[in-house]
Amino acid sequence: MLDRSLRPLIAVRVMAPPAQYDLAIRDLVSGVLNWRMWGRLGWQETKRRYRRTVIGPFWTTVSLGIFVLTLGILWAQLWKQVPATYLPFLTSGMLSWVLVSTLITEGCSVFTSGENLIKSLRFDYTILTCAVIWRNLLVLLHNFIIYIAVMIYAGVPVTWNSLLVFPGLLLISMNAIWVITLLGLLCARFRDVQQVTTSVLQVAMFVTPIFWSPDQLGPRFATLVDYNILFHFVELIRAPLLGRAPSPWTYVMVGLCTLIGWGLTITIYSRFRRRLAYWL
Amino acid sequence: MASLILENVTVDFPIYGTQKSFRVALRSATGGLIRREGLRHERVTVRALDGVSLMLKHDDRLGIIGHNGAGKSTLLRLCAGVYEPTQGRVFIEGKVSPLFNISPGLDPDDTGYENILTCGLYLGMTHEEIARKTPDIEQFSELGEYLSLPVRTYSTGMLMRLGFAIATAIDPEILVLDEGLGAGDARFAERAKRRVDDLVGRSSIMIFASHSEDLILSMCNRAILLQTGTIVASGEVHEVMELYRKLNQSG
Repeated sequence: MLDRSLRPLIAVRVMAPPAQYDLAIRDLVSGVLNWRMWGRLGWQETKRRYRRTVIGPFWTTVSLGIFVLTLGILWAQLWKQVPATYLPFLTSGMLSWVLVSTLITEGCSVFTSGENLIKSLRFDYTILTCAVIWRNLLVLLHNFIIYIAVMIYAGVPVTWNSLLVFPGLLLISMNAIWVITLLGLLCARFRDVQQVTTSVLQVAMFVTPIFWSPDQLGPRFATLVDYNILFHFVELIRAPLLGRAPSPWTYVMVGLCTLIGWGLTITIYSRFRRRLAYWL
Repeated sequence: MASLILENVTVDFPIYGTQKSFRVALRSATGGLIRREGLRHERVTVRALDGVSLMLKHDDRLGIIGHNGAGKSTLLRLCAGVYEPTQGRVFIEGKVSPLFNISPGLDPDDTGYENILTCGLYLGMTHEEIARKTPDIEQFSELGEYLSLPVRTYSTGMLMRLGFAIATAIDPEILVLDEGLGAGDARFAERAKRRVDDLVGRSSIMIFASHSEDLILSMCNRAILLQTGTIVASGEVHEVMELYRKLNQSG
């Protein structure tokens, strides 16, 4: 009989398979470094939105513009604000919020929508993560038109502080990598997480100072803002866009969040990266 | 030198969202062994591969034979690194090129040329390699001007030719092939066969799963027979095939 006796015997260990921890780190590092791949994926996706439409992704820009303009004027009336200061505040806030919240919601579907790829190829999943971030940065670039228009109308000066928008975007992207990886993994295993995230973000939009400014809240509820991490991520680009520097507290919170988040994600990713293909 | 070693590998698929009635239905299904885990047996898993060991070296062309649900595709995906084993270990040395479906990452709204680049990147080629291979893909797919049009406008046959041309343009070290790659009209089938032969010739190790005896006999120099996730026979293609036929008759 051929049977089991013919199974090749493996006496010599050729090499040790890499530990799970190494695999996860390797995935993250070489995924991020593979910019040609995620650059192309994000770019193609953006290009696709232009196909067969006249203004493509600018539709989101247009609807955001209408939103900001109408509500900006209305709320300026309601809350007795000066439109020339309220409009720039709302515009830059919404721009930042759209970036931050879309990164989070799209993070939920990053792996589930890549199911076909994950099940047929071995590649660094982080490429998908980076593609999401890159695509959203391109959308932000589109939305920037509203910002420029409003700034010209309101006469907000460009200062040296405005340059802080770039480290801000870098910090947001760095955090987006772990948030998307973690949420993508969670949502692949527990499909409810996506729904939970969407509902939480819906409420968060009103709780986070985007429509109103933190000093309107008064000292009693100050903690609601001080410890709201979403607020700090928004501040990271909103403040520079308004010509201010974000407060040191914002950088402290974001820094903490980066450290804790990455630590958590690397731990979880090391453990469960190998299970992802099974969950899809 | 490429090599691939599986050491006592087991793969359990977790089944989520199963109701009790569904679990009962599962029991009568074919395929792997269904188990329950956890304290109250609330976790259902399907054992797709059970203690599989395998050692492949340069010039090995392995054919995997077995019934539907014997674990062929799972074994292929394991060799490709898509699935990590639940137990046991996998050692892969060399670049693995899996060809399961013809065009991973193909987007219908992109043009043929754009898809050549995207799919090529997914298959592990560099920009330079893809640029070098593009004339060959153009020539083999015979799509001409169509390559500048969105892929969504292609006929099924055209889409298949494009996918096939891209997938077979790679320079694999370890080639993992599922059957079903190929087909098309008669003239294309002939050209496709030659192209696959060429592709296999370029590879160091080839792993191929199929139901077709002829294909296995013509393409492989070793074979294993899988049955409900275990290797029941391994060795010469003819011998293993003989056993498979016997099994079919008695079953």
